[in-house]
Amino acid sequence: MIEFQNLSLVYPNGTEGLKNINVKINEGEFVVIVGLSGAGKSTFIRSINRLVTPTNGALFVEDEDVLQLNGKGLRQLRTKIGMIFQSYNLVKRSTVIKNVISGRLGYTGTLQSILNIFSKEDKLLAYENLKRVNIEEKLYNRADELSGGQQQRVSIARVLTQKPKLILADEPVASLDPPTSHQVMKYLKQINVEDNITTIVNLHFIDMAMEYADRIIGMRAGEVVFDGPVSEVTEKTFEEIYGRSIRDEDRRGGVEDE
Amino acid sequence: MNKHSSYVPKGLYPFKTILIISLSLIVVISFYLISSIRTESFIWHFFVKFPNVIGLIGDFFPPDWSYLEQVWPKLFETIHMAIIATTIAVIISIPFSLLTANNVTTTTWIYQFMRFLLNITRTIPDIILAVVFVGLFGIGAFSGIIALIIFAIGILVKLMSEVIETIDMNPTEAIRASGGNGLQTISFAIVPQVLPQFISFSLYVFEINIRASLVLGLVGAGGIGQLLNKEINFMNYPAVSTIIIIVFAVVVVIDYISGKLREGLV
Repeated sequence: MIEFQNLSLVYPNGTEGLKNINVKINEGEFVVIVGLSGAGKSTFIRSINRLVTPTNGALFVEDEDVLQLNGKGLRQLRTKIGMIFQSYNLVKRSTVIKNVISGRLGYTGTLQSILNIFSKEDKLLAYENLKRVNIEEKLYNRADELSGGQQQRVSIARVLTQKPKLILADEPVASLDPPTSHQVMKYLKQINVEDNITTIVNLHFIDMAMEYADRIIGMRAGEVVFDGPVSEVTEKTFEEIYGRSIRDEDRRGGVEDE
Repeated sequence: MNKHSSYVPKGLYPFKTILIISLSLIVVISFYLISSIRTESFIWHFFVKFPNVIGLIGDFFPPDWSYLEQVWPKLFETIHMAIIATTIAVIISIPFSLLTANNVTTTTWIYQFMRFLLNITRTIPDIILAVVFVGLFGIGAFSGIIALIIFAIGILVKLMSEVIETIDMNPTEAIRASGGNGLQTISFAIVPQVLPQFISFSLYVFEINIRASLVLGLVGAGGIGQLLNKEINFMNYPAVSTIIIIVFAVVVVIDYISGKLREGLV
């Protein structure tokens, strides 16, 4: 369970990233955060694994206040939180399998990992996760030889190799075309359902949010302006969140064709 | 009307430009003349003294091939010096280049201090380093090796820290987000991105070290340069020309091999 208590974040330049957020996210939920760019979606998600540090309030992940954690404690928490990025953030010159097994770093000793020594179980786990996103035949390819959608699938496999309790995805489909976007979202949804991993996804496409989310949180200017199950959400809700009428660019459209 | 058509522009440039250019020219020529008179070096001496040059060149021929036997051990000493110095410099440069890259070392004062240290190192010419170390450790290859190590670190750290500063930082964020520590982030997200350039620069520094160690021998820091210095002092010119030919051939071969290897890398 994740709980935001009166959480605020002010950046050093004075920008208010988050304003007094109070949100509770339950285990196994698939939450989509929507909002225009600059609304604070990214800050919201990055506060959870402390890639940014909130300036006020408390944020509990698995009963630990992440604001109080440092060094080793923070790294231990981060091993339980998988993160997926808009630009995949793979090491392009490394092989697919090396990228995937880097999900085990938090569990592996420094010297061992520098020498690339991983246990048989870790290697098996990495390979099983590649199979899960149907990309196991690219095992020894360099990451930059893969297409965008394939790279994002590798990054999902990397996250799974962490054996996380929680997955954060920061605009995971913003760099992809519509069919690939749906494919990536389907994998995320499938993992959420099968492994009961709490998943929080930032999106700005309203149709995709409606299709995959259990619950939608709307953000504007650092504040939560809507929070409710997807069944309560209509186009009108999005217009209120965005503070303007819905345009074509707010929809991803398209369907998966494999 | 008539007055207008009778006007012919005087030149292609405005008066002010002509004045500045003329003055600059006068200043440059005066500096040149003053320098020549003060140092008593005039360029026509080249032609006046040319017959001497031809006479001296004659002394170099034919090269003394029987001298080769004495060249080999010293030549290998030079190559050994370059290998030892490059290896140690490469190992030392790894942590130093990370500390001198502002995207890895975000603590400003450490980064500024390392930059400062690096800049000081690079302002000292290799020959001065060799003179200092020959004074400290005595004549021989060891002094030359120490001088080469410091000289090579200066170059390598400068080149490498600049490469590190241009890498894609996104993968480091991913490794940190998954619970990896600092050293793991470096070895998984930074090293793979810079390794080819790092090897290429190391080979390049090896080439430079071979050439530099020749010069260092002149001040007694070991290697074939020391032999060269001795034979010049004894005016044993056929031996000198043997050394020069061999050195030239070896440098060309090593540069070629290293160049080919580097092409394959990047």
